[in-house]
Amino acid sequence: MALVDPPVREPLDLTRARLSTRRRLADRAATAVISLAFVVALVPLVAVVGYVVTRGSGIMSWEFLTSDIPRQYRVDGGGMYPAIVGTLLTTGLAALMAIPLGVLGAIYLNELGRQNRTARAIRFLADVMTGVPSIVMGLFVYTIWVLRFERQSAFAGALALACLMLPIVIRSTEEMLRLVPDELRQGSLALGSHRWRTITSVVLPTALSGIISGAMLAIARAAGETAPLVFTVGLVYSPSWSLSDSSTALSAQIFRNASQPFAGAQDRAFGAALTLIVLVFAFTALSRFVASRLAIKS
Amino acid sequence: MTTLTPITIAERPDLTIRARGSRLDAAFRGLALAAGLVVLAVLALIAYSTVDAALPALRAAGLEFVTSDRWAPNAPDGPHLGSLAFVYGTAVVSSIALVLAVPVSVGIALFATEIAPRRLRRWITTAVDLLAAIPSVVYGLWGIAVLAPNITGVYGWMHRTFGDLPVVGALFGPASSGRSFMTAGIVLAIMIVPIITSITREVLVTVPRGEKEAALALGATRWEMIRGAVLPHSFGGTVGATMLGLGRAMGETIAVALVIGSRPQIVANLFATGDAMPAVIVNQFGESSGTFRSALIALGVFLFVLTIVVNFMGRVIVNRVQVRFRGAA
Amino acid sequence: MRKTKTAWLSLFLVLGLIAAACGDDDSAEANDDGTDTTAAADDDGGSDSLSGTLEGSGASFPDAFYQAAIVAYEEATPGVTVIYNAVGSGQGKSDFADGLTAWAGTDSLVKEDEGLDPDEFLYIPTVAAPITVSYNLSGVDELQLSPDTLGAIFNGDITSWDDEAIAADNPDVELPSTAITLAVRADGSGTTSNFTKYLEKATGTWTLGSGDTIEWPSNAQAGQRNTGVAQIIQDTDGAIGYVDLADAEALGLTYAAIGNQEGEFVVPTLEGTTAALDGAEIADDLTYDPLDAAGAEAYPIAAPTYVLVRTSYEDQATADLVIDWITFLLTDAQDLAEDELYAPLPDSLRDRALAQLDQITVG
Repeated sequence: MALVDPPVREPLDLTRARLSTRRRLADRAATAVISLAFVVALVPLVAVVGYVVTRGSGIMSWEFLTSDIPRQYRVDGGGMYPAIVGTLLTTGLAALMAIPLGVLGAIYLNELGRQNRTARAIRFLADVMTGVPSIVMGLFVYTIWVLRFERQSAFAGALALACLMLPIVIRSTEEMLRLVPDELRQGSLALGSHRWRTITSVVLPTALSGIISGAMLAIARAAGETAPLVFTVGLVYSPSWSLSDSSTALSAQIFRNASQPFAGAQDRAFGAALTLIVLVFAFTALSRFVASRLAIKS
Repeated sequence: MTTLTPITIAERPDLTIRARGSRLDAAFRGLALAAGLVVLAVLALIAYSTVDAALPALRAAGLEFVTSDRWAPNAPDGPHLGSLAFVYGTAVVSSIALVLAVPVSVGIALFATEIAPRRLRRWITTAVDLLAAIPSVVYGLWGIAVLAPNITGVYGWMHRTFGDLPVVGALFGPASSGRSFMTAGIVLAIMIVPIITSITREVLVTVPRGEKEAALALGATRWEMIRGAVLPHSFGGTVGATMLGLGRAMGETIAVALVIGSRPQIVANLFATGDAMPAVIVNQFGESSGTFRSALIALGVFLFVLTIVVNFMGRVIVNRVQVRFRGAA
Repeated sequence: MRKTKTAWLSLFLVLGLIAAACGDDDSAEANDDGTDTTAAADDDGGSDSLSGTLEGSGASFPDAFYQAAIVAYEEATPGVTVIYNAVGSGQGKSDFADGLTAWAGTDSLVKEDEGLDPDEFLYIPTVAAPITVSYNLSGVDELQLSPDTLGAIFNGDITSWDDEAIAADNPDVELPSTAITLAVRADGSGTTSNFTKYLEKATGTWTLGSGDTIEWPSNAQAGQRNTGVAQIIQDTDGAIGYVDLADAEALGLTYAAIGNQEGEFVVPTLEGTTAALDGAEIADDLTYDPLDAAGAEAYPIAAPTYVLVRTSYEDQATADLVIDWITFLLTDAQDLAEDELYAPLPDSLRDRALAQLDQITVG
């Protein structure tokens, strides 16, 4: 019986050397389109940042950072010192209120309550709270605080910002706590530590860099918010360090000056925008530094 | 010879939690629980106080609040509180933003994960994160100072070129000034690109490497690999990212308030002036009182509910996709 | 490594900004109605012994004048800070009614539903100024508008610049066919109120009523405050809107000459405003209406502006501050008015306004 030769097939070419033109063109076209998307995205982003930086630097100077806000929109010169003070004050106070609360709350959610009903409810509501439009937060604080005490104040503004920051801090802290390996906790408990001891001396230090990083991102976000401050913080032209008095903020000043037709006002708006961007970038960069450098390598 | 003394059960150290004395533990637990309950309390307070403040307007306006597009709180014949024009404005502006932002964001994410040289990828991620950090008021300032005054020429060209097309032509009507739905949509698009990009990127990196390499090993070109292995896996996640971007776009107040033109109307022309929910609140709240103020708060509550729904859907979709491919955390 | 360096650099920048903030400590006690006072004021109202912060908000129409007056007042009375937040007459009245401010600026009268009882506050007229009809139309530097044409434009009946009504008012001007964009107020505005009251009075073509807010036609674009309207006009070819003279001049806007009762086309000037004030009848509460005044020289859209003060303040210190500040506004500051392009009050009205202040009580 004669063996039949197996049908001869051409060896598979896996080197893509003999791609059909159609496929090669499709690949090139797709790469081009995707790269184009990238470039198209760059254009407006560079345009915005570039314009703000160039126009803001035009007016940026030590004078600008330390001078009062001029009374009349139409004059040139002046500075944004009171707004810088206000931003630092409101954001700092908001951070002091929101971060400890948020970290403690996240500890409850991840370490103590875990999946019980209360924890699930809190987790769900924290998620809901991240979706509150910032203007609604501002209206809320206006109604229950500003009108109650019949004054606008830095504290009211800080309160509104803290309400915005709280759910963000809780969620990011909870994520960080979740990343801590369970073995560490179990080891600590097995050695006889109380729960609170485990949390404070084992879990928190391990997650600390991530928690700090998340908190700084929340601060950066709060520093840039405008809508919650519009009705709560009032207006000043000279720096005010008092919590119970009116204040102003970089974001609020940018908003006020943006719809002014005078060149002086617009210059100040861009100067304030540059200052705000530098502040926000500093915190964002710092947060990534903390996250990467200070993390305990597992 | 030493004798081993057996320990009796009674003497073995008790390591159970019950035996360790838990007063400090209880105190700590109470503190942490209290902190968590603050979230509950604040949110409950927000919900209660805003809904309570919104009711008078809803009672006065009744169904007109959601069916009418006439907003005239100080009209001589009594307040007219129809919110449709603002809902329309928010919808239009957010849609424009999504249409412009999603393709670009997916493109950047694909570029960053598949096409860019390895060293470039970290920089792209850093750049995107930094851009996400730029406060929205800065975008608004740029929009009103740079974009709005200079874009009427482009709108005019688009009107002349596309204005006569059937159906679609109505979108490209005459443009009298730079402040319009379209300008607000463009500014919003620029603002939400970083968010959608970073989430989409995270979703793209969860595609199993094995599948990508298998496609390539079978002779697929890079684009065919993307189309066959990457995109199907990440479709759900991209949808989720889009919804989160939509949520952000809907709630954006300041940038929209500056460039939308503040004239509430329901028209097809994208180059016409309009108004949006959060924008009208921030513009008119200060001077409002009584039913007018209540109506603005009702708008805020309405927006709140819409944003929650959108955000929730987005998060559910993203989580579902990530669980599927990364495994439960 | 580079990321670390950038991070440290940014940190130093931030710390530098913080370190620069070695500012004053304002640790004044807060009062309930928009003032902080750290010392009781003397009864003789001597400026030297007053101190504290006085908060006010309201109309943007007189803002340029009030800010100039504040600067002069703070120089004369060190220790006192006056804040005026130009948010529009509507919000000014609202803040005042809510107790957030001690004084308010408004161009329009207080209505029933604005939360204030008539015996809770007093009107103090301060200055008057023309409302210009400013426009932006390339190639057209001079424009005359009769009242009916003006009414029809803002009513939305005339939508293009080459309309025959406008051409009839301007026989010698070549008008392009640009579409008209109306520049109006988005916020509750006394300027809007006065402008629309004029349109109601003087034109037969205006049908949209009058008040702080109007339902404008569809070719309108709205801005915040007088300066927001000015910005729209500046940015938009074919725009026409109503802006106070001070802002129009500061921005170099072109404005139209409006036909008055005698048929004369009058450009907005301080003289035209004073002429309009001369004939105005003054009510008992010191409100008056100089709109569409008679007289060949009168500018037809001359608008008044008022300050609201409470008839009774909770504490002596606040009352003293308010009285001292408003007295300054009605006396020394009137000299500044013309420089800022506002018409000072006629003497008789000013004296009556000063007398109003005596009605303020404490407690």
